[in-house]
Amino acid sequence: MAATAPAAPAEPEVDRSGAEDEPRSAEPEEDGGNGQAGPTAGAQQQQQHRLAKLPLSRIKTLMKADPDVSLASQESVFIIAKATELFVEMIAKDALVYAQQGKRKTLQRKDLDNAIEAIDEFAFLEGTLD
Amino acid sequence: MAERPEDLNLPNAVITRIIKEALPDGVNVSKEARRAISQAASVFVLYATSCANNFAMKAKRKTLNAGDVMSAMEEMEFERFLQPLREALEAYKKGQKGKKEASEQKRKDKEKNSTDENDKSRDEEDEQMDEQEGENEGEEEDVEN
Repeated sequence: MAATAPAAPAEPEVDRSGAEDEPRSAEPEEDGGNGQAGPTAGAQQQQQHRLAKLPLSRIKTLMKADPDVSLASQESVFIIAKATELFVEMIAKDALVYAQQGKRKTLQRKDLDNAIEAIDEFAFLEGTLD
Repeated sequence: MAERPEDLNLPNAVITRIIKEALPDGVNVSKEARRAISQAASVFVLYATSCANNFAMKAKRKTLNAGDVMSAMEEMEFERFLQPLREALEAYKKGQKGKKEASEQKRKDKEKNSTDENDKSRDEEDEQMDEQEGENEGEEEDVEN
């Protein structure tokens, strides 16, 4: 068309192999609207699906530590990540009860130990923590 | 090189954030408690994986799937997790589907683009999404041991 290039942007050839705008609707509610942590953690967070707070890559690495596991679907990795999140919430809250009994506002290691001893679901943890 | 699986910890910043969000304001968590919770979380992953894998093996499948994990949660007496996990899985599947369709659309657009150099407007649309592709870690990819 025109002999000279008009106000063309300086950008070289765009080679974006990424997906297009992903549907954002699912995400904000899941995250509880708290956004990402600081810039360094943020970079890692961007790598993963925002529905899980824990990095799927790390979860996958842990799963692979089991010699009996051959393959795991992406969904299963995600579900384990999510379940782990729920687990952390649960154990923190259960341990808090013991801190409150001791009239403390700081959760301490012994509160964890008490929770593990008292609560059936945490029996698998006995003897596993340093 | 005795690397125990427990040495594979989950990122401290994330664990801390999950803990803080679960607890009321004004409650602190000692470093030792945080570390213990993080370790417990790793043990949880290992235990849940092992349990889920048993279900897969029973069904003569080599690939652990989401259903196996759900069965494992029940077995581990974490039934309270089942409902939120199902909901999260639904949202996750929708998200994956959206991305898959989007990247297929993108591929079609690319083919069109190569014969359509002057279409700058399309380039602007595409700006954001390069990083998001990385988060999928390859959709069809399975974890291989």
